[in-house]
Amino acid sequence: MPGRGHHAARLEPDLVLKHGLLVLAALIALTPTFFMILTSLKGQEEYTFNKVGLPQAVVFDHFRNVLFESDFIAWMANSVILAAGAVALSTVVSCLGAYAIARMEFRGRGLLFSVSTSLMAIPPVVMIVPLFVLYTQLSLISTYEGAILIYAGLITPYSVYLLTSFFRTLPRELFEAARIDGAGDLRILLRIVIPLSMPALLTLVVVNALYVWNDLLIAIIFLQDDAKRTLMAGISVFQGRYNDQIPLTMAGMVFASAPMIILYLAFQKHYIRGLMAGSLK
Amino acid sequence: MNQTSRFAPYLYIAPLTALLLFVFGYPLVRIFEFSFKMVRGIDGPWIGLRNYELVLNQPLFWESVRHNLQLLLAVPFIVVWSLLIAVLLYDRLKGWKLYRVVLFLPYILAIPIIAVIMKKLFQFNGPVNEALRWIGLDALALDWIGSSDVALWTVMMLIIWRESALGIILFLARMLSLDESLMEAARLDGANWWQRVWYVIVPQMKVVMEFYVVTSVITILSAVFAYVYMIGGGRGGPGTATMVVELYIFNALIRTSLPGIASAVSVMLFLVSLLLIVPLFAARRHANEEETA
Amino acid sequence: MNTKGRRDLSRRELLKRSAGVGAGVALGTSLPAWRARAATELTMWWWGEQELPGLQAFVDDSVKAYTAATVKPMLQDTAVVISQFQTAAASGEAPDVQFLWNGIYHMESVWLGYLQPLNGLVSDEVIKASNPTLLSNFGGNTYRVGWYPLPMIWIYNKDAFDKAGLDPEKAPGTWDEFLIACEKLKSAGIAPVGGGIQDGYWGEWYFGHALGQNVDSAGEVIGLFTGERDFREPKYHEHWVKLEQLQKAGFLNPEMSSTELYPGIDLIVAGKVAMGLSIGSRVPADSKATKGRIGTMVMPVYGKAKLAGQPIFDSQGLGIPAKAKDPKAAAAFLEYLQSPDRLKALHEQTGWIPANTNFDASAIEDATVRDMWQRWGLSPNIPYLSNLVPGQFYEQALLPSAQQVVEGKINGEQAGELAYNVAKEWREFNPDIVENYEKWAADLGG
Repeated sequence: MPGRGHHAARLEPDLVLKHGLLVLAALIALTPTFFMILTSLKGQEEYTFNKVGLPQAVVFDHFRNVLFESDFIAWMANSVILAAGAVALSTVVSCLGAYAIARMEFRGRGLLFSVSTSLMAIPPVVMIVPLFVLYTQLSLISTYEGAILIYAGLITPYSVYLLTSFFRTLPRELFEAARIDGAGDLRILLRIVIPLSMPALLTLVVVNALYVWNDLLIAIIFLQDDAKRTLMAGISVFQGRYNDQIPLTMAGMVFASAPMIILYLAFQKHYIRGLMAGSLK
Repeated sequence: MNQTSRFAPYLYIAPLTALLLFVFGYPLVRIFEFSFKMVRGIDGPWIGLRNYELVLNQPLFWESVRHNLQLLLAVPFIVVWSLLIAVLLYDRLKGWKLYRVVLFLPYILAIPIIAVIMKKLFQFNGPVNEALRWIGLDALALDWIGSSDVALWTVMMLIIWRESALGIILFLARMLSLDESLMEAARLDGANWWQRVWYVIVPQMKVVMEFYVVTSVITILSAVFAYVYMIGGGRGGPGTATMVVELYIFNALIRTSLPGIASAVSVMLFLVSLLLIVPLFAARRHANEEETA
Repeated sequence: MNTKGRRDLSRRELLKRSAGVGAGVALGTSLPAWRARAATELTMWWWGEQELPGLQAFVDDSVKAYTAATVKPMLQDTAVVISQFQTAAASGEAPDVQFLWNGIYHMESVWLGYLQPLNGLVSDEVIKASNPTLLSNFGGNTYRVGWYPLPMIWIYNKDAFDKAGLDPEKAPGTWDEFLIACEKLKSAGIAPVGGGIQDGYWGEWYFGHALGQNVDSAGEVIGLFTGERDFREPKYHEHWVKLEQLQKAGFLNPEMSSTELYPGIDLIVAGKVAMGLSIGSRVPADSKATKGRIGTMVMPVYGKAKLAGQPIFDSQGLGIPAKAKDPKAAAAFLEYLQSPDRLKALHEQTGWIPANTNFDASAIEDATVRDMWQRWGLSPNIPYLSNLVPGQFYEQALLPSAQQVVEGKINGEQAGELAYNVAKEWREFNPDIVENYEKWAADLGG
């Protein structure tokens, strides 16, 4: 076996160096998370003299505080609403559009695809001034619909790109056979294309949901109302309000990062695949 | 291919076109318009190129641009570090799968969360400095967050820390799809580990690396708002040491109520991003070609 | 049958009666309570829970108890208090009652035509008693009623003074006395002065305290922004030079640059730093936590101008937007909030005091707080000069300058240079506002 043979042929110091480097990299990767968790278990007073070590007296008060007396759950709920709404809207719009671009002929097809794909390189911050002014005039600031619309718009170019590429790989015979059977475009899309595209769609949903969940810029500007605040914006508020209470702040961070960490550990492969696909934006 | 109707395609792309026009089309036109006006609230009088004049003569604006450019220095570090670690993982030493899970963790944590943790870790009398002082490296116990000279480097460290996690996975995935026989052949030819890495693996990584460099550059120019907002206390502090173009636009709109100025800078940022579309397309095309080859 | 309903009704009556009692407070509506409730709806955008925990409870309580109209409050996020209001006002969607920070923070909205004068809507007596301060005036009109006060103070830790051999009941009065005290504290191993400047606000506070030492009126400060006067003149940047002095002497606490404002105050309360800037609203909690070992003081004096050594008094306030649907109803609500019952409720629910001078000070339990209220709120005081600073200057010069002086990156003179340049930039970016500033000087004794 190549791997086994590899192993035995190497010199000892080499191996130690390599492991050492990996251990170092792993420690660097893990330290902030360790710090976050350990600190969240320390009492406020203990942190002032014991910043680096293990907690001498484990304390769960901060978690209780975060769970019951802070707005973290409300913030998370808002993030869920926005992610779900934006992803749903964008997926529908993108499926329809990508299907047409990939499988239909019409004037401006190439142009639409090029423009749509180019939009992926445009920094979102460029859009905020006019949208902010427009939304204020239309009273759409601090509304779910308003924010969902913006998020959906921002994630759609990538969705169209991915789906179009995928749809194009589907064999032509599939469509021809279906058409001979008398199926219309919509039928084909819903009954054949979408079921076959599940892996790509799943990846898309994961990537897009993460984008909306992690966003800070749009959330701060367009969801200013206390009740509509998202998790990321809430984190900013929370750490500002309690910046003198570091263990409490860390407890909040633990709570906020828990969903993603759990999902990651449970679905590593899909998660990684999704994020890698997302990076190819 | 047959179609049931000539108009069907237009129905299918209508929602897409409408959405894109609303979220991209409308703003991109209006930033040009606003940039030529002195906007107070929702509109204002036409003032021609005055906004551009003011911004281009303002030291703070150029400082923001400089800071973005300074942050670009992170890219080589990210690429080299990611490549190095990916190569080590590729050797598939004992426990490499566990390492992989751990090494990707930084990318899982959202930027605001990571920034808050880092901010507390690197306070002047925080854990990192305490540890450094404890082992006698007092000279290294800098004011990571509070010093104008250091703060931007601290932000860069954070960006490198997080973004390289993605690079590691990306590079590793590519390596795992490489043809093993080439490596075998090189080994049989007597090439040592380092030579195999440099002469066999790296050349095959060029396309992925190119792609990763382009996307990293785009990220640094247009997606570092969250890092800077959280670490710099919301205003690019200390002083103006972590002010970047995104934050400049945000502040101009929200903090100093100057939408016209914000628009002028938005226009300039937009034009710069257009320049990056070409390399992005090229890199992506190369990546696709390689994949299908 | 409906005993609950009957109880509610009589409670409503009771509240209505108590709300109507009090010197010079008129509800401004003669409709019976139940009919008025159905008729008027008021929206109120406010801020303050972030700064004064318990205020939310007070607002909810007041809204529930107010029967002349249905008030819908909305707590705003700190970053958008002004911009959200201004953009709403610009498109005709402003609320009926708006929270207003003092000085330029609401004066800009006045100039843009988004706020209306309260004279004639709220009775003069109520306006005056509520303590809106000089900075709420423009063109002879007042645009806010005061809500809760913000005495701008220096605090010192009495235990730290004890340790250094200083008299804990006598804070240094002159700058020389101050420097001597710093030396003693430094020898005793305690950081003499400072706090936290990472988020920048300490620089704003310091400016508000120290600039006044060389200035005779708020109007004089206006000149620094309109171009009439120059930051590069020594007396107008001496305060940064003094800060530089403190930095060079090693009197500032070393973690100042990476600590935020409020954690910095905690350092003083904990005795790690002996003296520093704070804000009145913190004193009740800090005094209680240290069992009275926190003292309040005015900034040690080095200047000779009229405003030197005077206690600084600021207040948060409420105003009525220009296009409010029913200004009279809004004014009635504002007056209601100044009624003795509401003043008492604010004290009970936040532990802090209202800005109104009619507030019964005997209800204040803590001696330090009572003394502070007497010296800052009920005695001659001066306005908080940092509230005159235009937004652009604030972001680009006021905060960064102090941060960089504290870091040791620039000296006082360079800070003056930076201030001059940014003031000039501000004039170029905002010519329309400069005109208004010049007019404003007249109301400010300039």
